[in-house]
Amino acid sequence: MLKLEGISASYGAVQALEGVSLEVEAGKIACLLGANGAGKSSTLNCISGVVPIRSGAIWFDGQRIDGRSIEQIVRHGIAQVPEGREIYPEMSVADNLVLGAWIHRRDTKQVRNDIARVYEIFPRLKEREQQHAGTLSGGEQQMLMIGRALMSRPRLLLMDEPSLGLSPVLVEKLFEVIEHLNQTGLTILLVEQNAQLALKTSEYGYILENGEMAFHGPSGELRSNEKVREAYLGT
Amino acid sequence: MSTTLALVIISGIATGAIYSLIALSIVIVYKASDAVNFAAGEFTMVGAYIALFFIVSASLPYYLIFPIVAAATFILGGAFERLVVVPITNRTKGRENPLIPIVIATFGLSLMLTGFVRVFPYTEEVRSLPPLIRGAPIFVGGVPILLTDIAIVVVAVTAILGFWLFFSYTMLGKALQASSQNPRTAALSGIPVAKMRMIVWAIAGLMAGVSGMLVGPKLALTPNLGGIIMIAIAAAVIGGFSNLPGSILGGFIVGVVQNLIGYFFGSTTIAVAPFLIIMVVLLFRPQGLFGGPVHVKKV
Repeated sequence: MLKLEGISASYGAVQALEGVSLEVEAGKIACLLGANGAGKSSTLNCISGVVPIRSGAIWFDGQRIDGRSIEQIVRHGIAQVPEGREIYPEMSVADNLVLGAWIHRRDTKQVRNDIARVYEIFPRLKEREQQHAGTLSGGEQQMLMIGRALMSRPRLLLMDEPSLGLSPVLVEKLFEVIEHLNQTGLTILLVEQNAQLALKTSEYGYILENGEMAFHGPSGELRSNEKVREAYLGT
Repeated sequence: MSTTLALVIISGIATGAIYSLIALSIVIVYKASDAVNFAAGEFTMVGAYIALFFIVSASLPYYLIFPIVAAATFILGGAFERLVVVPITNRTKGRENPLIPIVIATFGLSLMLTGFVRVFPYTEEVRSLPPLIRGAPIFVGGVPILLTDIAIVVVAVTAILGFWLFFSYTMLGKALQASSQNPRTAALSGIPVAKMRMIVWAIAGLMAGVSGMLVGPKLALTPNLGGIIMIAIAAAVIGGFSNLPGSILGGFIVGVVQNLIGYFFGSTTIAVAPFLIIMVVLLFRPQGLFGGPVHVKKV
């Protein structure tokens, strides 16, 4: 479904990615691991069209999407849940969600249905519908970001460290949601610091080191790989 | 309360409604671009002169002049963003203090507009616009209230209400807010953030332009009318500079306080009022009268 062919990207003089290749099969969860600054977020931002690539190619459903605008890529069916608490703090929860459906804004009926669906997945958001998003807890804000991304009706969801700053209980719930979304047919590319959990949840894993792909393979194999265990799983 | 005092306050409310509009114009640009548009006062002045031009040369009625002024200042605001602010932003990306060049450009625009209107007729002498409505004043408890004052407040409040409805309830208005609050995330949802920023500047131009049409009948019209921006900045400061309802209320407060200062200490002291208000607010409540604690902006 998604295929990165040797992409390179840089911020000014700083090389962020060098010849990164990666593939995500439809209906699967793939994870992208690595230390801070290894290029995980840059990879997602290249896919989303936020950061231009210098060389290589990005394919989605057989179409080349690199060089297209962020808006076109969202329209193709790729949504990103960015890292951190990226919400609209002074707007209501409901408005935060509606804005995720910007590309479908003319289809008001469908947008209403989609919001109802998001509330089904996250009943907590329904309770806080009219509250300012800035008043939500960290976990609720993460739910809101996922819900907002779903509002664009993606087929591929890019998630950038969704477990960051959440308590162990919430992390467990979050991964339940991720698996649930996957079961409904959503393909997911998951960037994580929590390598243990990410490899358990995903079918295939990639590990970046200094902007280059260091390891990749079925998640089960990566978990038993000696070097991976030492460097990323702390065992 | 003496009748004179009541008159002073009522007149203050009418001018206050106008200041609210200009303050809103400044604050929405500040929220979208982080920069203060120091040419907002000149948008007011240009709006007033466009109205004057069509009244004197073509005797157009106000209901026809209103859309002309609104459209012209809307385009002027959007064009300035696209032709000046965007190129500057692209050139200063990643540099230290990228906003200073933008602010200086707005100063430049204010000087250009002041110079530019002098080319047109009717600007060489002090004039003023005819009242919005003619007719005998209405007496409320023995106090005569001018119809034009009522009309100013009604038009300004209607405009403000319209903006509020637009920003809160339409998808475009919400996207404009979102692009101001978190542009990176808005872009990830496919919202064309650059276009949104241009629309905000255009709307800000329109707000100030319309205020010019309202201020024209109350104040003497000269190409230096742009100085009115200090009063609007005082209103915005009362609102904490990023709180829209606070800025609206700030406009009314400044309008009334200014008149009261003039009433008690003589009309020559009126000019000092906005500066006094800015200083007092910044000294005692820098977050504005209505904001919470001071927010440190994330970088």
